[in-house]
Formats: sequence, structure tokens, C-alpha cells
Amino acid sequence: MNTAIEAQVAPAVAELCAVSKSYTTAGGHELKVLENIDLAVHQGELLALLGQSGSGKSTILRCLTGLVKPTSGRAQSRGKMLAGMNPDVSIVFQTFALYPWLTVEQNVAVGLMSRRMNRAQRQEAIDHAIDLIGLGNYHAAFPRELSGGMRQRVGIARALVSQPKLLCLDEAFSALDVLTAENLRQELISLWRSKENGLSSIFMVTHNIEEAVEMATRIVVVFPRPGRLGLVLENPLPYPRDTKSAEFQRLVGIIHESITTMTLPDLPPEAPPAAGQPVSRGRSRMESIPFVPVAQILGLLEILSDSPELINIYDISDEIGKEFGETISIVKAAEILDLVDTPKQDVDLTALGRRFVAADRDGRRKIFAEQVFKLRIFHIIIALLNEYEEIDAGRIVKDIASALPYDNPEKTFETMIAWGRYAGLMDFNAKTRMVFVPKDEDADVDAQG
Amino acid sequence: MKSGTAPQLQVIESRRGFTWVDGVVMLALLTIFWSALHFGKGMLVHFDESTQQAIDSSVWQIPYYAGRTLLRMWIAFAFSLIFAISTGYLAAKSARARLLILPALDVLQSVPVLGFLSATVTGFMALFPGSLMGVECAAIFAIFTGQVWNMAFGFYHSMVTIPTDMEEAATTYGMTRWQRFTTVELPASAHSLIWNSMMSFGGGWFFVAQSEAISVMNRDIKLPGLGSYMAQAIHNGDDTAALWAVVAMIVLILVSDQLVWRPLLAWADKFKIELTESQTPATSWVYNLLRGAYVFTWLGEHVVEPLLERSWKIGRRQVKRLAPLKVVRADQVWRAVVAVFLAWLGYEILSGAVGAAEELRGALSWALFGHIAWLGFLTMLRVVAMTVVATLVWTPVGVWIGFQPRVARFAQPLAQIGASFPVNMTFPLVVGWFVAANISMNWGSILLIAMGTQWYILFNVIAGAMAIPNDLKEAATVYGLRNWNLWRTLILPAIFPFWVTGACTAAGGAWNASIVAEFATWGNTTLKADGLGAYIASVTRSGETPLIIASIAVMSLFVVLMNKFIWRRLYAFAERRFRLD
Repeated sequence: MNTAIEAQVAPAVAELCAVSKSYTTAGGHELKVLENIDLAVHQGELLALLGQSGSGKSTILRCLTGLVKPTSGRAQSRGKMLAGMNPDVSIVFQTFALYPWLTVEQNVAVGLMSRRMNRAQRQEAIDHAIDLIGLGNYHAAFPRELSGGMRQRVGIARALVSQPKLLCLDEAFSALDVLTAENLRQELISLWRSKENGLSSIFMVTHNIEEAVEMATRIVVVFPRPGRLGLVLENPLPYPRDTKSAEFQRLVGIIHESITTMTLPDLPPEAPPAAGQPVSRGRSRMESIPFVPVAQILGLLEILSDSPELINIYDISDEIGKEFGETISIVKAAEILDLVDTPKQDVDLTALGRRFVAADRDGRRKIFAEQVFKLRIFHIIIALLNEYEEIDAGRIVKDIASALPYDNPEKTFETMIAWGRYAGLMDFNAKTRMVFVPKDEDADVDAQG
Repeated sequence: MKSGTAPQLQVIESRRGFTWVDGVVMLALLTIFWSALHFGKGMLVHFDESTQQAIDSSVWQIPYYAGRTLLRMWIAFAFSLIFAISTGYLAAKSARARLLILPALDVLQSVPVLGFLSATVTGFMALFPGSLMGVECAAIFAIFTGQVWNMAFGFYHSMVTIPTDMEEAATTYGMTRWQRFTTVELPASAHSLIWNSMMSFGGGWFFVAQSEAISVMNRDIKLPGLGSYMAQAIHNGDDTAALWAVVAMIVLILVSDQLVWRPLLAWADKFKIELTESQTPATSWVYNLLRGAYVFTWLGEHVVEPLLERSWKIGRRQVKRLAPLKVVRADQVWRAVVAVFLAWLGYEILSGAVGAAEELRGALSWALFGHIAWLGFLTMLRVVAMTVVATLVWTPVGVWIGFQPRVARFAQPLAQIGASFPVNMTFPLVVGWFVAANISMNWGSILLIAMGTQWYILFNVIAGAMAIPNDLKEAATVYGLRNWNLWRTLILPAIFPFWVTGACTAAGGAWNASIVAEFATWGNTTLKADGLGAYIASVTRSGETPLIIASIAVMSLFVVLMNKFIWRRLYAFAERRFRLD
């Protein structure tokens, strides 16, 4: 295809140059969501941005289209810097963003609101767009009469009616059931390939690996905390793509490996303590805590113990029905507690993990407490608890924010409290916002401190 | 022309035409137009304070007076709507404006209507010398101040709670400010705006009597209307006329409710943001009837839509494509203009306040001020007593009603209408009973205050009881929770946020009510209670300006402080602990 050569000559349809974005969290802390992003969407390509929830991919889309201004760096459209919203871009939203008081026809007409046209041309464009996505008999229907798939079709029609140079999809298929989503994907691909509407470039954001490989000509993977670009993969497979073909699976495998290498790295085992040297209590680096409730960690361990044939992390992800990002979080949580091992893309129960699963409630609590105690981030709270009877939550959140600058400190705090409560190491009074040691666990803390 | 779906089916364009319903609608519209002119004519007559026309006490005049009152209410409402939308929009869009507007609305909300009336009646009369229009304006302004504040807050709140994805879609598709307002912001706020309007309009009835029989600043002017008719009837001791006036008032309220508010609420269902059918959609027989009228569709297609589309063509796209330099200059000029205007406004307000303070210092001593504050404290005790007693009495009733959906369906609107009914019209009758039974006004005024405001507590408690999710009730049954346990564990916590809303509204209304409740006449007897309301009523009557300013300022201060230290805290507490989501 000549598009690759064309793309290198013409300026990119939309581009981000050295873009960083920071937000202020609810508690007033500054969180860096994107770090130095360089991304270009070329003419004629379908670019997929792949990343788990919270990786900053939606923010990248908003910076690219001009909805949000980057903190540093610039967003460009065809070589020129963006001043406000990019007028050649349309967005299809995950939650459809239809107006409930407008009919299908009126909702689609919203896409033309900024263009000056006479009535006849406008009506023709609207009718054409509605027919294109197959809602030809629904002109006068209201959104609440439509199913989710039909609502998203209206969203797509609204996006296409103005014949944009770049169509952006913000997780457009995530809120739909599997069958409807698949149907819409194929329709969108054939629309794009037929170049019927002047639709030449598409930029889509998704967390679904198969979806990205099925649709995109180029895939970029985003890693979270802070959001930065990782793997860039060209996808030359011809359309229509067979998800069972070897080539397809190979590409999926490359992406899987890249993700697990990045998020669950295989580090060399810690050196055994040399005689005479002081033993470091915790790990040598500060781990960030995945925001995973204890119940999900326990559930993962149960599943691993019940189904020893489940090894590959992506199989596990399919089995428990969660997107890969969430599964990776749960596995990472179990891993930092030394309950599982993650060589390459596999997940194995450690000996400790097996003991944990076999233990009764009290035994589990003890093991959990021991492991939690080893995490350096928890030392922040435990050291303070040893000194004072109760600690103000705000102070702990501040300490967390300085220790882990790329994580949301309030969410980290909430997860730590949840784990700490299960372990019996601490409790939290939501009314007074104070963290304290529950009375009957005093002896345990002393013994381990 | 759309092609038919299947060749077997013939597509026949349905010819929707005008029917008898349209005839009724046109007739109704014409009647409304004619009545507005007819009653409005009466506003422009010549007026001389010394030779006022007395209110005709004949029962047959009641419809005319009712019409005058209704016209005043609707004119005041129109102004309230415009003001509420403008201020709410400004506060929602500009952070700087918000800093000014919200606290200002807060303070203005706490000033009793009588305060506004006494401040403006002379001014308005000077604006239209020799014509009744001046007095009418003062009365309309008074009603306006009774209606507008809640609507402004409500509109602001609905503007800031529009879902983010809808706003982003509007930005993405390049809507101009006006397009965004008519396509997204106004429809999204429609339901809350209509609901608040209904409540505020209902609240306005209370001030009708105060604003029509103006006895402030040593003037005694009676505008033709139902409120002053009632006052005249009482004064003449004409019980039948008084009773007919009460009936007329009830009819007016019912008519407004059925013909205007319920249909509007039923129509507003279209604008609700949740994309599912609501559980109990508002029904209105008038709305169902009007849906059959083709005239609205015709108007929509041939008048409203073209006008709207033409208006959208005006105005730039919100995306700035102009050279940055020009835009910055215009922006700077605009900012300079606004700054100058604000500075002037600030100066005017400050000099006014300083002038008032000077006057006050001349006329007041600390002892007098302390006395006023003491009276304020007494009235506050009455307000609190009313809230407590009304809560104790009506909470069980409200909860019982709320648990029976069939009863609730007609009881709640009834309580809302009851809240609208201006009980101050019937005060003289009750006061007569006080005189006969020799009841001290100090206690009797609590009853008078309660008569008008307790309904807010009732219908909010009903709403709260209706809102308790079924699964919580079922869990209570399964675990055998009964009587006090049931109340303590489920019912009281669940209805708490609703109760706070109702009690706050009731208390706010109680302060205004105290002005008419603590100072009431029956025939030749005047009963006064020891309280700030009575004090305000008497000084506004006699027109001693410094005392008026002082006493109203004290009452506003009490209300603002109560809001800040009691109601705000309770709201925040309810939000934190008792939300059912």
C-alpha cells in the first residue's frame, strides 16, 4: 500500500509533540497523567491506542482533538498548532452522549451545527448519514426508545455527517454487548475501507487487545503511571481479518508479551543477606499499590488453585471476564504480596500462596499481615502508628503523594486501608478521618515491630 | 420522501390536520390574551393617593379581583424567570461571577419581602407619578422577590450538573454559545426549572396579600385584587365575602396547578437526563388533551424551528480561528468595561450602606439595637418551636402516606397545593378566635406561622418515604424490625435528607410569615406578639426608615446565621451519611 509512503510525505492529520498533562486530585495533589507523549495520526491510517483503564489514553485523545489543553508540549493539526477545538475532527463517545430531548434526526443534525449550509443540503447530509449507518426508519425516534447499539449508531452518524478528516473513537464499543460491538466494528471497517464519506483516517482508543488488532493498521500501546508510549506495531494484515488465523494470534502475542514485560517485569531475585550485614526489612524499591480490593486477590488465588491448567495471564483474563488491565492489576497485587510468581506471561502460585489458600481465616489473616508488613509503602503508616495512637488521614496521603508521585494518593490510601483492615493491622474512622490500631491487634503490631 | 420499508406496504403519508382540540386551544389562547388586556387596562388608571377608590365588597366583583391578582402573579413570574436564568447562567459560566452572585443571592433570599416593599414603594410611585402603575410595579416587585431566589439557585445547580459527555459533545461539534444554550443547557435544566418554578410560584401567593394592601411607609394603598378584597371584607366584618374570597383563592391555585404546572411537568419528562422511563411519570389530563392539538406541532414546524435556525446562524463558532492578537484586545477592552462597571456598582453600594449606617447611628442607640436583637431571638424561638412541633406531628403522617402509593399519589400534590395557599388570608379569622378564647399572641403566633409552613415538612417527608428503596424495606421485614427499631434503623435515616430540605424551606418561610403572624388585626382589635416580626410590621407601617433598616437587617442576619450554622451543616451531614446511593 502506498499509504505508508504518502504518510511520510504529508503532514500528519493530528499530532502531539512532547505533550505532558497534570491534573490536581480531589485532595489538592498534583498528579502527572501524561509524560512526554509524541504521537502522530497519518492520513489514511486507522491508529489504535491501546491501554488499560487509567493509563491516560482518554486524556491523549482529548489533547489530540483539542478538548483539553496540554500542560506542556503542543497539539497540532496538519502542521498548524491547535487553538481550541480541532474543527476537522469528530468524536464518538463511550457513553454515546446523545441528547435525550432530541430525535435521532435532530441528534445527527447537531454534527452540522457549526457549518453553514442551506436547509436542503443539510437535510440531504443528515439523511445520507442516517442511511449509511442503517437507521433509515428511525428518524423520529428518541434515544430512550433505542437499544445501546442503535444509540451508538446515532453517535457515529452524528460524527460522520460533517465529513470529518479524522474520526476519533473514545472506547466507542466498550459499553456495548459483545455481539453488537462486533457487528458495529465490522460496519465501521467497511465504511472506512469504502472511503465513501471522505473518511480516510480513524483514531481509536481501546482497552481491548483483540479489537485493536482486528481493526487497526497501526497499534500504539500506552503504559500507565505516568502515561507514556510503549510498543508501536504496524499491522499489515488484509481485511477482513480472521481472529483465529496464526498471523492474528502472533500479533496478539507480541502485544501480550510487551505488556507483561512492562507491567509485570521479571526482576532478578533479591540477593540473600550476607552475614554481618543489616537485613533490610522491606523490598529495595517502593512499590506502587494496585487499587485492588482484597476479595479479588483472594478470588484470583482460589481460581489458580482450583484450575492448575490456567497458567497464561491472558487466559486467566478471559476466564474471569475482565479486561487485561484489570487482570494485570489483580495479579500484580498478588505478586507484590509474594503469593504468586509471574515468569514471562504465566501466573504461578508460590509455596506461600498455596499455604495461604489452604489456611483457615485466621491463618490467612496472619500470612496477609506478614506480607503487607514487608511492603515499604506500608512502613509509612506503621511507623507512624507505632509512635502515635491515631494519625490524621491527610498527613498519610501527603506522605504517599511524595513517595509515589505518579499514583493517585487518595486511591492508594483507600486501598492501603482496605488491605490493612483485612490484615488487622489498622482501622480507619471515616467520621474523624483518623487511622488507628484496632485494640485487640496491639500485641501483633508490637511483636512484628 | 422516504422509500417504504417493504414493497408490499403502501406508504401513506398520514394527513394530520386541525381538529376540535385545536379550536379549544385557539379559543383558550384568545381568552388569555383578552383577559390580560382587560385586567392590564386596570393597571394604567389614574391614581391619587388621597382619593382612592375603595374596594368593592360585592361578591360579584371577586372574579375581576381574582383576575387582577393572577395577572400580577404571572407578570412577576415572567420577570423571575428571566432573572433566574440570567443569574444562574452567569454564575455557572464565570467563576468570578459565581463568587459575587451566590453569596448575594444568599443574603437577598434572607431579606423579608416586606423589606423590599418598603424600600421600593416610594421609588416606583415616583417613577409613574399620578398613575396606579407605580403601585402595581411595587406590588409586582414584591411578589417577584418572593419567587425568584429559589429559581435562580435551582437553575444554577442544574447548569453545573449537566453530564460531562454532553458538554464535550457540544464542544466537539463546535456549537456557539447560543446554540449550546438552546440545544443542551436549557433543555437539560428544563425539568428542574419547571419544578422550581412551580414551587416558587406557589410560594408567591403568600405575598399577594402583603403586596396588595400596602400599608408601609405611612401609606395605606389598596390595589384591586383578591388579597385586598379579603382584607376589606374582614374589616367590614363581612364573613360571606371573606369565605367566597377564600374559595376563589383555592380555585385560582387549583386552576394554575392543573392547567399550567401539571401539564408542564408532564411535558418536561422529555428532558429528563436518565435514559430510562421514570417509575412514576407525571400525568396530566390537560397534557394528554393538548397532545392531540395539531396547532402546537404546526407552530413548532413553521415558526419555532425556522426562527431558532436563523438565530443559530448569527454568532461566531466557539472555535477561535481569528488572529490571536485581535481577540486579546477585544477581551481586554471587555474586561476593562466590566471592571469599571463593578467598581461603580461597588461604590454605589458602599456609599448607600455608609449613608444608611450614618442614619442609623443617628436614630439608634445600643439599647434599642439590643432590644431588636432580643425580639429577633424570641421570633427565632418561635421558628424553632414551629419546626420541632410540625416535625413531631407530621413526620409519622408523612411516612404513613409515603408508604401507601395510592394515597401518596393524591396526597402529595394536595400538600404542595396546601403549601401554596396563602393562609395569611385566613389569619384574621383565626385571630378572631384567639381574641374570643383569650389566647396570648405570643403562643398563638406560633400556630399562625405553622399554618402556612408546616406543609413543606409534610410533603418532603412524603417524598422521602416514597423514595426508600423496596429492598431496604424487605430486609427490615425479614429481620423482624418493627416500631421503634424500624424507625431508628431505616425510616428516620432514610428520610433525613428530605426532612432537612423541608424543614429549611419551612423555617425560611416562617421568618417571612412571622411578620404577618405576630401582628394581626381582627375588626378593631390589634393583637401583637413580642417578636421581631411584629416590630418590623409596625415600623414599616409607620415608616420610620432607620428602624426599618435596622430591624430588617437584624432579621436577615438571623436568617443568614441560621442558614450557615444550622441548615448548611445539616445538609452536609445528610449528604455525607444518609445518601441512599
